[in-house]
Amino acid sequence: MKKEVPLAITFISGLLLVLALFIPHKPFGNLEEIFNDWFIIVSGFTLLLGIDSLLGYNFHKIKRKDKDAPFALILILSFFITLAWGIIEILRTPEHNPFSPSSTFSLYFYNYIFIPLQSTMFAILSFFIASAAYRAFRAKEINSALLLVSAVLVMLGRVPLGQDAAPYVISVIFLIFAVYFYAESTGITETRTKLIYILVALIFVALIYPLGWVYFKKHIPEFADWLMNIPQMAGKRGIMIGIALGGIAMSIRIILGIERTYMK
Amino acid sequence: MVNFLKKLAGIDRRIIYLAVFLATAVPILTKAILKIEPLPEVRKAYEYIESLPEGSIVMVSIDYDAASMPELQPMLETFLHHSFRKNLKVIMLGHWALGLPLGQQALEEIAKKYNKKYGEDYVFLGYRPGVAAVIINLGKEFRNVFSGDYAYTPLDSLPLMRKVRNYKEIKLLYGLEAGAVGDSWIQYGYARYNLPIILGTTAVMTPDYYPYMQANQVISVIGGLRGAADYETLVGISGQASIGMLPQSVIHLVIIAFIIIGNVGFLVLRRAKK
Repeated sequence: MKKEVPLAITFISGLLLVLALFIPHKPFGNLEEIFNDWFIIVSGFTLLLGIDSLLGYNFHKIKRKDKDAPFALILILSFFITLAWGIIEILRTPEHNPFSPSSTFSLYFYNYIFIPLQSTMFAILSFFIASAAYRAFRAKEINSALLLVSAVLVMLGRVPLGQDAAPYVISVIFLIFAVYFYAESTGITETRTKLIYILVALIFVALIYPLGWVYFKKHIPEFADWLMNIPQMAGKRGIMIGIALGGIAMSIRIILGIERTYMK
Repeated sequence: MVNFLKKLAGIDRRIIYLAVFLATAVPILTKAILKIEPLPEVRKAYEYIESLPEGSIVMVSIDYDAASMPELQPMLETFLHHSFRKNLKVIMLGHWALGLPLGQQALEEIAKKYNKKYGEDYVFLGYRPGVAAVIINLGKEFRNVFSGDYAYTPLDSLPLMRKVRNYKEIKLLYGLEAGAVGDSWIQYGYARYNLPIILGTTAVMTPDYYPYMQANQVISVIGGLRGAADYETLVGISGQASIGMLPQSVIHLVIIAFIIIGNVGFLVLRRAKK
């Protein structure tokens, strides 16, 4: 029965909601509304589950004298201080809301502790992103070179100084590629391949002025827009359609009881 | 020389961190404002809001928190200035409970500047759990979800809310998105109820919403700090986003410089290995 009851509830609920979409008349018509009300209530209770899980996990860490125990203790203390402070403000403020403008919770805790902490956490990302971009954007093969060049062009096209900097950046990138291909050609003995490498190097040099100093100097924002609107969007659409199809397949599997991992 | 070039492939991350710090901090301190040409999508959003008749009711959804504040708070503040200048009525709610006070503080502060009255010109509803369910039920009847505002004042005792039953009365949903709530607004708010939507998104989320914009399922998307600066320029405000354009430009150039340096080192190293 431990398995059959949840499976039956899932099957009946799923089926009823599908029927409700196709039969907009009573008794199916208002089913979605009822389910939504239940969902809002159940969502509220999931907060309690979350609190239970968070506190249980951290109490356990302290009990085990884990090396992270001091942090767990800080978390638990912060949780109860926040909770107590919030409740006091609910009782004290005229709006009975800890976030009301007259609340000390909102003024001191939220504005002077919570916002700076959360902003700092996110701001640290900029350092990691810069470091990761430096390490990850390497022209290892043609695909990664294309990704690298696209990323650079979008970065340039989306900022005000990008248009002025574009000719210099394009010149440097193309010169590096030209030097690389020329250097590679010196180690090649077969004449045809050697000539192709030299030709590619010359093409890069020849493109510096028309692309960098004429086209991108004027049109880099439009080019960045084109990259975002056409190739980026095509890829994004493919991913979105894939996710939607995957979602439908997974829903059918759950309704039919084939996928049961949610019961574990 | 070759050894030096090889070293470029493995620069110590602390040097990168220092460069990022300086490239951000120094331009911020100068507070210089760069001249920018607003992006077409931001202009479209601005023009739509401009076209709304006086007294139209607009709704703002706060779906972000302090982590995304640098990008989205200027978008909110500019929108509130824009709306109150045009005498639009503003209803605010949100799906990120911890971000809602940011919205409320901005709403109270900017409404005060324009002498707007709570309950008549603007209302703060607050938070209810269950994103999709909340959006669907609001489309049927606001009172199904919010029996009162954030201070438990019954909706029918607020003059502005007496006019509102569902999305039919809402001329625009302005969603500020740091996550996937924007998808729910489009999938339920627009697809079911034809709710007109403009989204303000963090730069990292912006590409996710481009397909909806191209399919005309949202009026427009204001993306990232650049979008916020564009919107400030159009509304005529020199806010935090406009100040942020110089540091953002410089940091982009610094990152590009590091990418180029890294690739020089990488190519020299690869050739040496051969």
